[in-house]
Amino acid sequence: MTEKQAESQCEPAESPSDAPGRRRLIGDRGSHFLNRMEAETGANVAACYQCERCTNACPVSAYMDIKPHQVIRHVQLGWRDELLRSATVWVCLSCEMCTTYCPNEVGVAETILHLRSLSARSGIAPQERQLAVFHQTFLDELQRFGRVNEAWLMAALNRKPGILGEKWRTGQLKTELELGWTLWRKGKLKLLPQRCAAIHEIRALYRNRRGG
Amino acid sequence: MAQKLAFYPGCSLEGMANDYARSIAAVFEQLDITLVEIEDWSCCGATAAHSLDETMAVLLPARNLAAAEKMGLDIVSPCANCFNRLLFSRAMIRKKIYDIPWPVSGEIEVYDMTRFLARPEMVARIEQRVLKPLKGLKVVCYYGCQMVRPPRLTGFTDYENPLTLDRLAAAAGAEVLDWSYKTTCCGASIGIGRRDIQESLTARLLEKARETGAEAIVVSCPLCQANLDLFQRDRAPRRPHLPVFYFTELLRLAFEADKGSADWFRAHIADPVPLLRAKDLLR
Repeated sequence: MTEKQAESQCEPAESPSDAPGRRRLIGDRGSHFLNRMEAETGANVAACYQCERCTNACPVSAYMDIKPHQVIRHVQLGWRDELLRSATVWVCLSCEMCTTYCPNEVGVAETILHLRSLSARSGIAPQERQLAVFHQTFLDELQRFGRVNEAWLMAALNRKPGILGEKWRTGQLKTELELGWTLWRKGKLKLLPQRCAAIHEIRALYRNRRGG
Repeated sequence: MAQKLAFYPGCSLEGMANDYARSIAAVFEQLDITLVEIEDWSCCGATAAHSLDETMAVLLPARNLAAAEKMGLDIVSPCANCFNRLLFSRAMIRKKIYDIPWPVSGEIEVYDMTRFLARPEMVARIEQRVLKPLKGLKVVCYYGCQMVRPPRLTGFTDYENPLTLDRLAAAAGAEVLDWSYKTTCCGASIGIGRRDIQESLTARLLEKARETGAEAIVVSCPLCQANLDLFQRDRAPRRPHLPVFYFTELLRLAFEADKGSADWFRAHIADPVPLLRAKDLLR
């Protein structure tokens, strides 16, 4: 992403409630979103006083449209939609630098990760589609075998709609095939997946999660 | 002290990191510690479960914790991410807010493998076993994120300058250099969708390691190893290779110098064999 693009993405997205002059200081539902986030993550979001230590510690803040300290401010103000639409929730590496260096023990990484799961369930098209699909594919494979085999994981990812086409266009497919060949030559690829004998226990977990 | 531990290898050690698995088996055999693989273990859910479904991030590792409790053994985990996920799950189990389908109390110990081996009594035992110290091999140790952070979960008090790998590499006789990038993120799995971010992070680590004067990097995390090693696959002509060793590979080499063979290192992309031969550490 160029700097200019990153800059333009920092601008508030245009939606009726965000139009100049109409933006409320606190989100539509008061501190509802803040309270919800604090309850669901155990993160101490209200304690943030914007010292920006998290953003300064973050190795990928340059690639984020909403910087880590801004994420926390957005939560405080209840600006949920901007967060769920952001690239930030997908770019975060969960390296935990922000959480580790926060003087107020806010739990910044935990907040961003929770926003990621909210975003995944929200129906909003993720800005980093491949990453979003990858995480979901990982869980699919886990449900299938109980363990995750790297070769099968990548094959399953490539079978998801649109992924192979995107990789073909960007030249990523060629790089990936070369990588696969290298890994095979080095004996690092395991072609047959290992299945857990008690796979039914894992599948039961998934079923119960869906309320089935 | 009972020298028997429950071993939770994790998915990587069955695939990309199979060389790590082999060296671990050899090292623990030399140290007379029995690793009992957790029977029918399952994946910890890694970043995906953590990202998309927090409840699964508790339940998936809980199954393995329950299995180890049944065995009555503490867990040792070679993978930084598995270690982190097991600890997270254990902390949540102790809070008793999740309905876990297996009997589990969350009272067993979960060791990161480097931390287990870097305790003074184990280092002493390692030093006794060293047959041929890795003299003159200049290395930097790279810890990554998940093993040390967040400190309140991992229990690392020296999270800014961790020393477990440093102690182990030194015990193997290598010359361990100090550097400032021990815990700077390598990019983890972001390369799946954003290769540009991945490469900028990994390239910086390799650059800094070279600047420090290192001839090799020592790691314990399978994903860090893959990122650092694979990044060098098509950049050979421009830069000298910087081999990325699992710490157990160095220990094994120091323990079994007489039997050392190039075959041990065949899974490496940045080939360490010329370096080791130049240092007279490998036949």
